[in-house]
Amino acid sequence: MTAGLPTGFEGWVAEAARASGGRGLEWLDAQRRSALEQASAQGLPTNKDEQWRYTSLKGLQEQAFALSAEPLTALQPDDIEEALVAGLDSHRVVLVNGRFSPELSPLEDLPEGVRIAGLAQLLESDPDVLRGELNGVAGDELPLFAALNTAGLDDGVVVIVDDRRIVERPIELIHLSVGLDEPRVAQPRNLVILNAGAQATLIERYLSLGDSLYCTNCVTEVSLGRDALLAHERIQDESPNAFHITGFYLRQDTASSYRGINIGLGARWARTDLCVSFSGEHAECDLQGLYLAGDGQLMDYHLDVDHSLPNCRSQENFKGILYGKGRAVFDGLVFVAEDAQKTDAAMSNRNLMLSESAEVDTKPQLEINADDVKCSHGTTVGRIEPEMLFYLRSRGISAPIARRMLCLGFAGEIIDKLGAEPLRDYVTEQVGRRLESAPLS
Amino acid sequence: MLSVKGLRANVGDKEILRGLDLEVGPGEVHAIMGPNGSGKSTFAHVLSGREGYEVTSGSATFEGKDLLVLEPEERAQLGLFLAFQYPVELSGVNNTYFLKAALNSIRKARGEEELDAVSFLRLIKDKLKILHLDDSLLKRAVNAGFSGGEKKRNEIFQMALLEPKLAILDETDSGLDIDALRVVADGVNALRSPERSMIVVTHYQRLLDYIQPDYVHVLAKGQIIRSGGKELALELEEKGYGWIEAEGRAA
Ligand SMILES: Nc1ncnc2c1ncn2[C@@H]1O[C@H](COP(=O)(O)OP(=O)(O)OP(=O)(O)O)[C@@H](O)[C@H]1O
Ligand SMILES: [Mg+2]
Repeated sequence: MTAGLPTGFEGWVAEAARASGGRGLEWLDAQRRSALEQASAQGLPTNKDEQWRYTSLKGLQEQAFALSAEPLTALQPDDIEEALVAGLDSHRVVLVNGRFSPELSPLEDLPEGVRIAGLAQLLESDPDVLRGELNGVAGDELPLFAALNTAGLDDGVVVIVDDRRIVERPIELIHLSVGLDEPRVAQPRNLVILNAGAQATLIERYLSLGDSLYCTNCVTEVSLGRDALLAHERIQDESPNAFHITGFYLRQDTASSYRGINIGLGARWARTDLCVSFSGEHAECDLQGLYLAGDGQLMDYHLDVDHSLPNCRSQENFKGILYGKGRAVFDGLVFVAEDAQKTDAAMSNRNLMLSESAEVDTKPQLEINADDVKCSHGTTVGRIEPEMLFYLRSRGISAPIARRMLCLGFAGEIIDKLGAEPLRDYVTEQVGRRLESAPLS
Repeated sequence: MLSVKGLRANVGDKEILRGLDLEVGPGEVHAIMGPNGSGKSTFAHVLSGREGYEVTSGSATFEGKDLLVLEPEERAQLGLFLAFQYPVELSGVNNTYFLKAALNSIRKARGEEELDAVSFLRLIKDKLKILHLDDSLLKRAVNAGFSGGEKKRNEIFQMALLEPKLAILDETDSGLDIDALRVVADGVNALRSPERSMIVVTHYQRLLDYIQPDYVHVLAKGQIIRSGGKELALELEEKGYGWIEAEGRAA
């Protein structure tokens, strides 16, 4: 069944892993099959492929990751203490190695009209809810990693908020990786549906206990109904030895509003695809990002914002701090269709380089086919301003601390947008800690 | 306290300071006046350790220590303070955080305890009052979006907080309205003490009515070409710099 997949990726869709989630559902099996065919037909992209021009898949391929057959049930609530953000009050959902963990997800006090469940669970108990929704946003034509995720589709989290429900506390998805004997791939699949007028905050955190080698290949689909509002904060803080792949698919209906913040700190190799489409007018999409890349790290972001309808607004604002031999890629495309008049889109990518050997490839693009639009893009690659550094040092602040203050000042623009103070403090501390040990050459 | 002898400094190939001499004793206030481009800010920058200047000869010692071999932060920790002619905007760097880092690093260097959050806040609120600055400034980024006058007052506010031994005020009066000038001058005067010295760079005699200097120097083409008491400032106000430079050439 897995023959034809690119070498090194055969284990990603192993039959064993498909034991639980919704076996025997005709429509789902058809999706899995079609995804598997697509993944096999595509083969492994090379640097001739525009989407992979700056990023090599060699390291990932060599690892020959495989899915783990058995769910990990041994974790107790105490064990995950270190993975929590102090003071953050949330509806917490924990996935361990890609599998929903009911024991670690205290979901008793969910407000009415909010449904949060493990995907595998829901595929057993109420699969009709998911029919038409899974792959509903991502679509039928999937790039390699989303196809692999779909082919191996098994577990993850589903969040559904009914019409006009406002969820006060943030919903926090903790994607936890726990080291296993062999390098494993986890392919969580998340689905978030906010129906008309619903409002929620979703925090997604990707992290590990320990610094083991593994791969996360997640797909999150988000569908926002008319007037719905979602604040979505993603913090990728995987193990320094991990590989991380995100396929994020968002569809926004009329006058809905999405405010996303993507923070990339961990993993040695991280690829994030953010794909936005509109199914109604007057919707607003705000994508903010902050990434750090140090020695041996690659942070690769691809944005694809498809303005197919008039009167929508999008903003893409990504900032990066690179040090040591860190590398980053920012490849952002805003597409404006012929009749998408009054589109308002602004894309920016700014990079702060702390060393000579760090490298960034930045390519923001606008493809505009309508004539009455307001679109802009800009990119900068700069260093710490010597005047700023001198000003701080002239006040008695040592050079390393002064540099860190300036970097945190640069990052602060994004961090300050996080809704919850405990999370802002947490991220500030994580960023500060990395900069503290950042080599400057 | 400060002793500068035969100081020469270049920017690139261009010599800006050409044998500058200056002695500043404890508690003294020295005014430096001089035409645009004569090297006043350069002098202030060289003393405070800014990069981009090459000292080719001469010396500058502060309380017997060779200033020129020290890092900027080490000079500040010894008690040197520069109020910038053009204060730098540090977007994203919170003012309170910045002030606390500055004060504590200087206190640490002096062998004093770091201040806890409560005493620190009390202290800055006191100092803000002296400069008639609003509390809200603490929540903002350092100098970001400050008006010209606010930036200058913020410099003197920092000086009040850090209590340096030698302060160099580079055109702190430029861009201040009449009331702000008085506030800043009062702030500076409040800091005058027998141990604290100041070098006040200015183009205007007016400031010197408020901050009475012990000495006035004229800096032209990278040298001090004339020194005198405060009456020299009045004379300069009246006649400009031409006559001294002419006398210098004649001599
Ligand atoms: N970084 C630099 N690069 C090139 N030239 C410089 C630099 N810094 C200073 N200079 C030059 O050195 C000279 C002295 O400049 P400086 O700023 O010290 O003058 P100043 O006396 O402070 O003038 P003002 O009264 O206008 O403030 C000027 O001619 C200036 O252009
Ligand atoms: Mg000047």
